[in-house]
Amino acid sequence: MVRIYVIDNGGQWTHREWRTLRDIDVDTKIVPNTTPFEDLDNENIDGLVLSGGAPRIALESKLGKCTEYLEKADFPILGICAGHQFMAQFFGGKAAPSKVPEFGKIELTLLKDDKLFEGVPKESIVWESHNDEVTVLPEEFELLAESESCKIQAMRHKEKPFYGLQFHPEVEHTEYGEQIFKNFVNMCKT
Amino acid sequence: MFDAEKFIEKTVDQLREKIKGKALIAFSGGVDSTVCAALVNNAIGDRLIAAHVDTGYMRKNESIGVKKMMEELGLNYRFIDASKEFYASLKNVEDPEEKRKIIGEKFIRLFEKTAKEEGIEYLVQGTIAPDWIESGDELRDTIKSHHNVGGLPEDIAVKLVEPLRDLYKDEVRKVARVLKLPVSERQPFPGPGLAIRIIGEATPKKTEVIREACYIVEKEIENAVKQGIIEKPWQYFAVLIPVKTVGVQGDKRAYGYTIAIRAVQSVDAMTCKYSYIPHEVLDNISIKIANALGDKINRIVYDVTNKPPGTVEWE
Repeated sequence: MVRIYVIDNGGQWTHREWRTLRDIDVDTKIVPNTTPFEDLDNENIDGLVLSGGAPRIALESKLGKCTEYLEKADFPILGICAGHQFMAQFFGGKAAPSKVPEFGKIELTLLKDDKLFEGVPKESIVWESHNDEVTVLPEEFELLAESESCKIQAMRHKEKPFYGLQFHPEVEHTEYGEQIFKNFVNMCKT
Repeated sequence: MFDAEKFIEKTVDQLREKIKGKALIAFSGGVDSTVCAALVNNAIGDRLIAAHVDTGYMRKNESIGVKKMMEELGLNYRFIDASKEFYASLKNVEDPEEKRKIIGEKFIRLFEKTAKEEGIEYLVQGTIAPDWIESGDELRDTIKSHHNVGGLPEDIAVKLVEPLRDLYKDEVRKVARVLKLPVSERQPFPGPGLAIRIIGEATPKKTEVIREACYIVEKEIENAVKQGIIEKPWQYFAVLIPVKTVGVQGDKRAYGYTIAIRAVQSVDAMTCKYSYIPHEVLDNISIKIANALGDKINRIVYDVTNKPPGTVEWE
């Protein structure tokens, strides 16, 4: 069984991430974002999800021990919302308050083929909830998706298996959310 | 995938292990507390006592129905009529968080009293995932204090047992279906009840208005579902907005409150879409509310907000 933990950054939907993983037969657990990397490594995890949360990444630059995970991990990491913004900042990009914050139903447009979006059509409905967003893509990343009001909806590291999503694949109303998780899980398996 | 049968087996074992002596269950008659009661009943039998509180903020004929159900389920139960106390404690209270906390404390003090009188050590609650998630903690922001989590006072004289903490409503319904409970498809109704469907002070007078409006919304929506006009919404109800607008009734000026109708689609309450209710159904609701509530209400609106940015209930 593939083992993927969810780092809890205090999101409303952290537990939904856990549930989605559990529903697709992943060995999963929610762990606080104060957990040292060594503790995670000792449990031989295959991947990590960095949840969203109330902290304003654009205003505060810290998010538990997420720095440590991004520095040391050689397994796939999926950053969601605040987790995504933090990932961008860590790699030299920028997060800032959104000119148009998005809440609820939004149309996502894929810009590039990628394993994470296998089986997801070019246009689909996703669910959002953010006041901040990534405004400058880190150099080592490529852009994968956008929406009308937010130009960096999905990104991936060019070499490492690190992904960031501004939208929320874990909630019921995101059309292809479970598919995206399945694709991520497949990457963690190999 | 969530396996209801395994969950039942594991939970009953754990409850049997954990609860030595007697337990009291806070029984609202909704899906969560009924599932909890059935599980604990399986584990400890007649050492379980169910307590139902009529807060005065229940829906039309609700507490009578709950009493009947407790009898049908063969539960050893206590029926506590505390409407007067609840009305008194919410007098002049307008803030939704304050309302929720007062109600949370009131509930727990009533349960503690029963527990003390009957030598009961454990209190079982049907808390589910969204209750503690939205109530907030060290990491999470408080969206609203659910009466059974964020509304609890710090000093509690009973030990809490919450077997459904990790479940969402759709999973609780799966458990309910396996247990063949009659409430498995019942729509959610929050513990604070109609008190949070009245924006601002929840006076007894306004409670009567919203009770009738909720009754009409439920009846008309359920009729439409029966006739196959709409899919059953996740939750459907009315909200009283204490904003007065001008109308004309019988050639005379009227100046009454506003009723909002809310119906949403969801599976777990963590996100929701407002329901697409056809105009013919809204029309029926509107006419019936206007006729039943006369000069108390002269404007009726339909809420078209998703979650986020809104929540299901207005407070």
